[in-house]
Amino acid sequence: MIHGMYELFEHTADLGLRIRAADLNTLFAEAGECLFTAILEDITTVEPDVAISIEVMGTDRELLLFDWLRELLLKFEEDHLVFRYFQVEVREDGLTGTAWGEAVDPTRHQLAHEVKAITYHGLRVEEMEGEWLAEVIVDI
Amino acid sequence: MAKPEFTGPLENISSCCWRIPRSYKPGMRVDGLIFANDKLIETIRKDQALDQVANVATLPGIQKASLAMPDIHWGYGFCIGGVCATDPAEGGVISPGGVGYDINCGVRMVKTNLFLEEVKPHIRELVKALFYTIPTGAGRTGRYKFDTTETRRLMAEGPRFVISRGLGVPRDLDHTEAHGCIPEGDPDEVSDHAVKRGSEQCGTLGSGNHFLEVQVVDAIFDADVANAFGLELNQVCVMIHSGSRGLGYQVCDDALALFRGCPTKYGIELPDRQLACAPVESPEGRKYIAAMRAAANYGFCNRQLLMQQAREVFAEVFGRSWEELGMELLYDVAHNIAKLEEHQIDGVTKRVWVHRKGATRAFPAGHPEVPEAFRAVGQPVIIPGDMGRASWVLVGSSGSMEKTFGSTCHGAGRALSRTAAKQDTSSRKIEKELEHRGVIAMASSRFGLAEEQPKAYKNVDDVVDVVHQANLSRKVARMRPIGVIKG
Repeated sequence: MIHGMYELFEHTADLGLRIRAADLNTLFAEAGECLFTAILEDITTVEPDVAISIEVMGTDRELLLFDWLRELLLKFEEDHLVFRYFQVEVREDGLTGTAWGEAVDPTRHQLAHEVKAITYHGLRVEEMEGEWLAEVIVDI
Repeated sequence: MAKPEFTGPLENISSCCWRIPRSYKPGMRVDGLIFANDKLIETIRKDQALDQVANVATLPGIQKASLAMPDIHWGYGFCIGGVCATDPAEGGVISPGGVGYDINCGVRMVKTNLFLEEVKPHIRELVKALFYTIPTGAGRTGRYKFDTTETRRLMAEGPRFVISRGLGVPRDLDHTEAHGCIPEGDPDEVSDHAVKRGSEQCGTLGSGNHFLEVQVVDAIFDADVANAFGLELNQVCVMIHSGSRGLGYQVCDDALALFRGCPTKYGIELPDRQLACAPVESPEGRKYIAAMRAAANYGFCNRQLLMQQAREVFAEVFGRSWEELGMELLYDVAHNIAKLEEHQIDGVTKRVWVHRKGATRAFPAGHPEVPEAFRAVGQPVIIPGDMGRASWVLVGSSGSMEKTFGSTCHGAGRALSRTAAKQDTSSRKIEKELEHRGVIAMASSRFGLAEEQPKAYKNVDDVVDVVHQANLSRKVARMRPIGVIKG
């Protein structure tokens, strides 16, 4: 199994997500997970009861990552869903992603941050020495 | 990704004004001007905010200078604490980044006829009741539910819509910027996503730096103006700091996506993608303006509903109606907004788009947009500070029209990142520390108090000193918090 890793980094008023992975598909999946570690105090409280599918079109990889996270944030904001597991297939012209999670249950899910938006500032998706790196700052 | 501190040219042109000359960066159309004293400028230099002031100076149609208030700090594209005016007649642009994600984030101050000694014995009960009545924090929805049609009406009409349902009184509108309704806001230009995000959040505080505070007038600096505003020493007031919630964030987000292709389409060279802008007179520009105005009206409405809930809680705790408690709105003013205003530029009256991102309108005495009750003294300017120290009431003065397109500062400005603040101490400890200072605080998030602790902010008194000295607005009263609720 190819695995990735992620961390939150600090940014004056907001939070940064930094993700590393061996391939693009894992990078995008890990980015989804990283977003929900910023939103939730403990992502492991989320049960994978429902699956949603997200399609994003575009050729710019950075904007593709932006739009993928933006769609996930919308599912949280509008449909009150939180996610724990992610699978993404990144293509030349877009991506297909699946996220598994459930509806927010205030008795089990403690929210940590209100993520207002994904931002373009310092948005990076780069391949370096055989490894992929992404950085995204979210406005909170 | 942290860059070293600003090392570009910074000329001290007066005791509280600094200039970044136009020659600093290619593409700068005007100078950058920063209002700050020696002490503040040292902090300001440490992040990239000054570079952002220079970047804004490259925007097409910018007038006079790219301006920064003393509470300037790093923001997306535009710095927070930035003011810029663009002239549509000169190809001027509108920029969602110049308004910010939280469209019409702003402050509202409500007076009471109660004094400290009457409130002190009830403060714990009062804060608790406020905290359990008013939805705070991430993901919270409000007790007021509006369907999508009602949400769109609310955006077209502003607080007038909820007042017609008994949630406030018509005189509240007289003390709200633009009477709470910016004309030509078009709810049909607001996406369904944004409406959905907003429909269940009107009347909720949100998280981050938003708060509702019970405050006491701690010092009076201008007795005549304080009298005109109805403020006295030891009087208890309520200050509300919130914006347009998820609806505004989504309008900004939608606009940034819509504006992606604009720089190429209109031949605008941008030093930073987050500065995204479009000519005012373009389909994209017009669409954003219509949606932004509608979102701003939602923001006024949100604060109206927050105020109304606070009035109800006070009535319950003190056993008298809110009218009997004298809970009149002093003023509601935005600090994240862009507005079409008339200003004198080099002796010519122009209608320009004034972007205020973390800056407060501060119109002086006599200005027709100042509520009639205050026209002889000037517009009340409400400046929220941090929860341990002070907030301020200022009054707009003539210098703002001459120097800053009728604008002044908006708050303290962050000094520590959230992570650094959180590592510094725990929320539990902050709660105790605040209690020791006579402040009862409740927050819905475990990290809320730690991330927003007083140490995380610059001292608002320093910021206010500068705008007073520069005559952008003058000190009227300082407010000290005694009760705080936060997200």
